Amino acid sequence: MIEALLAVTFVSSLVVFAAPDRVAGKLAALLSLAPLAGSLWLYTAFDGSGNALLPDGDLAFETMATWLSIGDLAVNWHVGLDGVSLPLVVLTTLLTTLAIVSAWTPIDERQSQFYGLVLFMEAALLGVFSALDFFLWFVFWEAVLVPMYFLIGVWGGPRRKYAAIKFFVYTNVASLLMFIGVIALVFALPVESFGLPEIAQSLRAGELGSLAGIQPGTLEVLAFFAIFVGFAVKVPVVPFHTWLPDAHVEAPTPASVLLAGVLLKMGTYALLRFNFTMMPGVAQDYVYLIAAVGVVSVIYGAMLALAQQDLKRIVAYSSVSSMGYVILGLVALTPFGLGGATFQMVSHGLISGLLFMTVGVIYNTTHTRMVGDMSGLADRMPFTVGVFVAGAFAYMGLPLMSGFAAEVFIFLGAFDAFAGAPWFTAAAMFGIVIVAGYLLFAMQRSLFGPFRLETDYEVGRAPLHDVVPLVVLVATIVLLGVFPELIFDMITDAVTALSGGVA
Amino acid sequence: MATIGEIAPAIALLPLASFAVALASVVFAPRLLQKGGAIPGILATAGSLVLSVWAFVHVGGGEPIEQELLAWAAAPDSFELTLGVLIDPLAALMLVIVSLVAFLVHVFSLGYMNAEGETGLHRYYAELGLFTFSMLFFVMADNILMAFMFFELVGLCSFLLIGFWFREEAPASAAKKAFLVTRFGDYFFLVGVVGIFAAFGTGRFVGSEGFPHLAEEAIAEGHEILGMSPETGVMVLGLLVLGGVIGKSAQFPLHTWLPDAMEGPTTVSALIHAATMVAAGVYLVARMFGFYALSPTLLAIIALVGGFTALFAATMGVVKDEIKQVLAYSTISQYGYMMLGLGAGGYVAGTFHLMNHAFFKALLFLGAGSVIIATHHTHDMWKMGGLKEKLPVTYYTFLAGSLALAGIVPFSGFWSKDEILYESIVHGLGTDGGLGVLLLLAFAFGLLAVFFTGFYTFRMVALTFHGEPRTEVAEDAHGVGWSVKLPLIVLGVLATVAGLVNMAPLDVEYLHSWLDTTEEAGLLTSAHHYEEVLHDVAHVEAATLTPIATAAVSLGLALAGALAAWRLYGSDPQPHTDRLGSIKELVGNNYYQDEYQVWLAEGVTLPLSRAADTFDQVVVDGVVDGVSSVSLFSGRRIRRIQSGIVSNYVALLTAGLVVLLVTFAFMGGWF
Repeated sequence: MIEALLAVTFVSSLVVFAAPDRVAGKLAALLSLAPLAGSLWLYTAFDGSGNALLPDGDLAFETMATWLSIGDLAVNWHVGLDGVSLPLVVLTTLLTTLAIVSAWTPIDERQSQFYGLVLFMEAALLGVFSALDFFLWFVFWEAVLVPMYFLIGVWGGPRRKYAAIKFFVYTNVASLLMFIGVIALVFALPVESFGLPEIAQSLRAGELGSLAGIQPGTLEVLAFFAIFVGFAVKVPVVPFHTWLPDAHVEAPTPASVLLAGVLLKMGTYALLRFNFTMMPGVAQDYVYLIAAVGVVSVIYGAMLALAQQDLKRIVAYSSVSSMGYVILGLVALTPFGLGGATFQMVSHGLISGLLFMTVGVIYNTTHTRMVGDMSGLADRMPFTVGVFVAGAFAYMGLPLMSGFAAEVFIFLGAFDAFAGAPWFTAAAMFGIVIVAGYLLFAMQRSLFGPFRLETDYEVGRAPLHDVVPLVVLVATIVLLGVFPELIFDMITDAVTALSGGVA
Repeated sequence: MATIGEIAPAIALLPLASFAVALASVVFAPRLLQKGGAIPGILATAGSLVLSVWAFVHVGGGEPIEQELLAWAAAPDSFELTLGVLIDPLAALMLVIVSLVAFLVHVFSLGYMNAEGETGLHRYYAELGLFTFSMLFFVMADNILMAFMFFELVGLCSFLLIGFWFREEAPASAAKKAFLVTRFGDYFFLVGVVGIFAAFGTGRFVGSEGFPHLAEEAIAEGHEILGMSPETGVMVLGLLVLGGVIGKSAQFPLHTWLPDAMEGPTTVSALIHAATMVAAGVYLVARMFGFYALSPTLLAIIALVGGFTALFAATMGVVKDEIKQVLAYSTISQYGYMMLGLGAGGYVAGTFHLMNHAFFKALLFLGAGSVIIATHHTHDMWKMGGLKEKLPVTYYTFLAGSLALAGIVPFSGFWSKDEILYESIVHGLGTDGGLGVLLLLAFAFGLLAVFFTGFYTFRMVALTFHGEPRTEVAEDAHGVGWSVKLPLIVLGVLATVAGLVNMAPLDVEYLHSWLDTTEEAGLLTSAHHYEEVLHDVAHVEAATLTPIATAAVSLGLALAGALAAWRLYGSDPQPHTDRLGSIKELVGNNYYQDEYQVWLAEGVTLPLSRAADTFDQVVVDGVVDGVSSVSLFSGRRIRRIQSGIVSNYVALLTAGLVVLLVTFAFMGGWF
């Protein structure tokens, strides 16, 4: 099934590449409905249980075939879904379709290449979330970078080249670090393949040997941090975050939507799969350091957002803040902490996607994103502003929207997780005040008050196809906020075995 | 036939339906509902009122309503988070109050908003529906997490409605301030909620499995709470939750948002002050009184904050020129009284005042709304005068509300305010240790505030309705329609007689016995149970004192204040407060409370964030750029790469992958 999903998406991207620019947007949207419908079908037919990497895991839609071998290690085509990866697969297909529709207005050149790259990226992302062999997974992981690099570098803003290079260098150096870490582990383990379940179970069983004279204990810590830093860049957490605002500000809106909505979740997903599933012992030994990274990301990211004047930069920095909560939830290693972190990945994907899209709709009309350049937009664009307000409150963690559920799960999970945890949790929670501060100030100045616009454009209502994706996202956010069990049930089923770290 | 026990959620869901209808009509059929959604809103709140009364009668039979609504989230071997409905006597009383006030506000809106040709009415009624929905579910919440959720939604709706006239600067700013200040309080509340779950594993309010009872057991058995002694644990958790209360109920020092919130439509002010947003805070204290009653420290803090706020706000009410401003400060002050009552262990007294205040404050705001539309949107009392003849219905009902507010016998406010003062002095005199002393101090604040209350109330009445009309708009004031008069009459009657249900000095205590109605059901929320907890755990004792004594003193002070105002402003008003000189300066500027909070936000936090931003760009990003330009690419090469063609990037990408593969191969021992 997953093969079919990947194949359809990949073929779609080729078809769109070949299509004329004029029809590429509509065609891409149409074709992207197939993986969306497919992933929703996977959701309804999901019959997996447990965690994909652990012995109790019973995967859904699993296939395993021998592919090739490197030395005496087998590389398998091994894909499958558990309760953590399935929600992310659905998130990917949903956001891709919506991002494609939201691109119709702003993308006015080289459309077939643009939409082809987006679909190609979707295929790679689906691969990342479903692959269970390290080698296979790494191929998909790297394959995501290429289209995003071009999306920023070709269709981006004035400083697109700088932003694209920065994005590329950061993530590639990070990939290298992570790659070395994982490979070092693989060579020091008595495993016969690159299968992630085998690596995880072997590591958790304490079978790590020494490598090149490094003792197993030291090796595990070194590998943990090499891998952690590698993924932390992707998330991003402070201090590896500075590529993100540049990338977001320069990226065209649909690319920002996917970057914030899905690409950042690759990092947190991988942290969960690698660091916190394979080496929970190291995570527990360094719990204060990791929790501090999470807390600093939350507060520092929110403070940076407070200082910004560019709406897109505000949303970009607030992503750093939101991802800090994920780190805190992961390191808690409790059902609610891990589950809340995973829920936050999905929820933040929807909410940041919504806000980036809304800022995009405003930019399409006003041609500015600077808070000081406009005021009183609510008078001219009532619907768009209504959605912006809904999105902003979702970001602030308004109850009955998914952001609140995610945050409160994390807080509940983290509060009593380790000695001193209440202090870390309470400190991170102060983020909910700062986020209200910067979003309310930005809204008050740009959306309300008497109408004024520095750039000389006619401001009218946005076209229907610009607002439909916004409505879909708001509806999904509310749905998950009222009924979090729609996905939280399968998530907790998959992460509960990880709670408590090493027994 | 369904019973009320089964359909209780409909009490809140009906206004949600009116929200949905108003929202759908603005999108799909803007012309379908000419009244802008007023009709669905009126029908829905009328339905809520009928169902609330039904629930009230049902609970009166001795059986509370409990129903699980939704298994919200759960994880194996961890917390179960649920949404559920709980209607005990306290909730039943509050449901009737909220749905009645909401219904009357909807009716009044026909005259205040529709007849005045306001635009955006669909939005107005949609937000009103959402507001009512949120508050009703907050009142019915059976656990503290659900209470927090709807507490926040109440905050959102206040934001939306305060900022209803978003095209102007002031409402948008006031809306932001209201949400931000209350969010600051809610931060502590949320930490408290999470802490309560961590400590007790449940957020249930009632019963032997509820957290107040578990806390009581922990104290009795000496179990630690979150690694602290049980007394300290309860105090810390209680204080954290109190943060949310102080924010929402506009208690010192988080009261600053409320006067600004007057920028919203007056109907909204009525709803916010009487029955929803501000009431939510005090209701929460009453809801989990079994928890607060465990700790003498918590009680003392609540009483002291309340007593101080009552006095502090009352003094500011004295110098205000706008009718809504006077009412705003009176709201802060009156909620201070409720806190004082609850902190002094007067659960019945605090609840009683919450009820009476809901009626008379809704009345006063709607009365002020009537004056405002009659005088073509004049808010300044100095531009009014002599409206008594022009607006007789408004005048007499407003007078009833004012007598209740000032605490003049036999109007409702007298009975409840007197009971609060009585409770605080007898418990202050009877209780040993710090709590007793602090209760007496809080009592002194509260008693002194009675004089100011009488003064500002009758200053307001005199300036608005008496004397000669001072401007042309007051001269030309026009009458108001039935949709304005009807709610005023209903509330006027209630403000006059509601106090008769609990005339403690005369041994009439219907409300007290009402709050004991379901004692047999084991909810542990009866007034009687709270008295036992106060006595056994917090060691609150009552001294013997005749209730007539405090009643006479407070009535005397209220009358003195009212008469003083009457003498000064009755016939030929002058700006007498100007003679106070620098004191007026201080009080008129609200003791510079706003200034220091704005300074905290704009003078401290904002520069700090800018410093962080500079640090981020220069140091954090600078290190990376520096490293990359030194080692990976020279500046010249960066320019070349940036100006290069696509093949350069492909080459770069390939180079990256090759590096990876070579490392891989090297480590794997291929060579």
